[in-house]
Amino acid sequence: MEIKTTGVAGTLESSDIQIMISKGTDGIQIDLDSEVAKAYGDQIKKVITDTLKKYGLDNVKVKATDKGALDCVIEARTLAAAQRATETSDKPELGVL
Amino acid sequence: MDKVVDLYLNDSSTRRKWKHFLEKLGLNNFSSREIDVIDHTLGLVDDDGNLVGTGSIAGNVLKYIGVCNEGAQPGARFNKIVTALQQYIFNQKIFHSFVFTKAKYSKSFQHLGFNELAHTKQAAFLESGTPDVNAFLDTIPKVKDQKNKKVAAIVMNANPFTLGHRHLIELASQENDLVYVFVVATNASLFNTDERMKLVQAGTADLKNVFVVSGGDYMVSRATFPAYFLKFPDDLVATQTQIDANVFKNIIAPRLFINSRYIGTEPFSRTTSFYNQSLIQVLEPSIKVVLVPRFEVNGQVITATKVRQLIKDDNLLAIQKLVPSTTMDFIKNNKEILQDRIKKGMNIDGN
Repeated sequence: MEIKTTGVAGTLESSDIQIMISKGTDGIQIDLDSEVAKAYGDQIKKVITDTLKKYGLDNVKVKATDKGALDCVIEARTLAAAQRATETSDKPELGVL
Repeated sequence: MDKVVDLYLNDSSTRRKWKHFLEKLGLNNFSSREIDVIDHTLGLVDDDGNLVGTGSIAGNVLKYIGVCNEGAQPGARFNKIVTALQQYIFNQKIFHSFVFTKAKYSKSFQHLGFNELAHTKQAAFLESGTPDVNAFLDTIPKVKDQKNKKVAAIVMNANPFTLGHRHLIELASQENDLVYVFVVATNASLFNTDERMKLVQAGTADLKNVFVVSGGDYMVSRATFPAYFLKFPDDLVATQTQIDANVFKNIIAPRLFINSRYIGTEPFSRTTSFYNQSLIQVLEPSIKVVLVPRFEVNGQVITATKVRQLIKDDNLLAIQKLVPSTTMDFIKNNKEILQDRIKKGMNIDGN
């Protein structure tokens, strides 16, 4: 899967997470901003990484601004951002979730 | 539940309501210079139809953001309006945004993933999204073992590149191992960004330790320093120049191991002389500011302003003494295009 543009999904409202995905050169690099990063940072990054890998993306720059999202929300937002970045929103692979 | 709505400020009653709302929150600057650049304005209305929040977009700069927290969870409305503004620019494929705000609101933006680039006592300057300042710095060429080298920087608009610019760069090139020439990226001058960049490159091609690069959004750009391109009152110019100097000091210089900044003395432009003062005040002593007297030919100071005036006056012969041959050739070959731009209203008295 190839990243063609920058893709964003999610909001900055409570219980949500905003994910911005753009082309990377050095694996999956996540810049996470979260008030609960100390307790859940690793878990949030793991969910994002796993979702991207399942979608076939290995070189990605990710900016994530978390407002206390649950894992299922993180997955959904990551998938939506990935679809937008790869311009595949018209043929969603929901099996990834 | 609050709803996000479009606000059309062309409508005078909407504009009055919007202005009244912001005035209650302590925002008072509604000069046309600020308002005219707005591309779009959003509002937040509560269940009873009252305006409880607003924010605007000008290019990739967020402006006039204000919310009333009465009867709502603190922060919720602010987050909602910023999200809505971001969504609006994302739809236009703009993924990188700036905000220039009062220092006390910097933290609120940082909670939403904005990264503070600089602050003064009054103001803060933040960015969000991608490509950010780190991506910008990654694209700039570097040399081996740069941190042990003498590295200098010059920021110039070079509209167009004159013998004065050449003199300044030459001096820096002799006194340092490496010189970065950052060319102003904002395209608001008689010579467009591409032309200015190429003329600086052509005019310094023989100097092997000089890198000519774009100043991006971070050095004298419309985002950091709008007063360079438009007339502003003095207190705003002071704040903007301090912000610009702080971005250079906090972020640009350390990453590129820049230890000195060369500037030309400024006998004419009030804004630039303000800028020079701020640079000295902010950068010294950690970064040396080298103030170089303006280069003179036959007792007359060379300025790009004069060159532009001579282009307007169609006096190419007089330009010959002021610019290197590379710039001269360009002006000769493109005289009509340049004069046409002036005729169409391009301001040549500014910077």
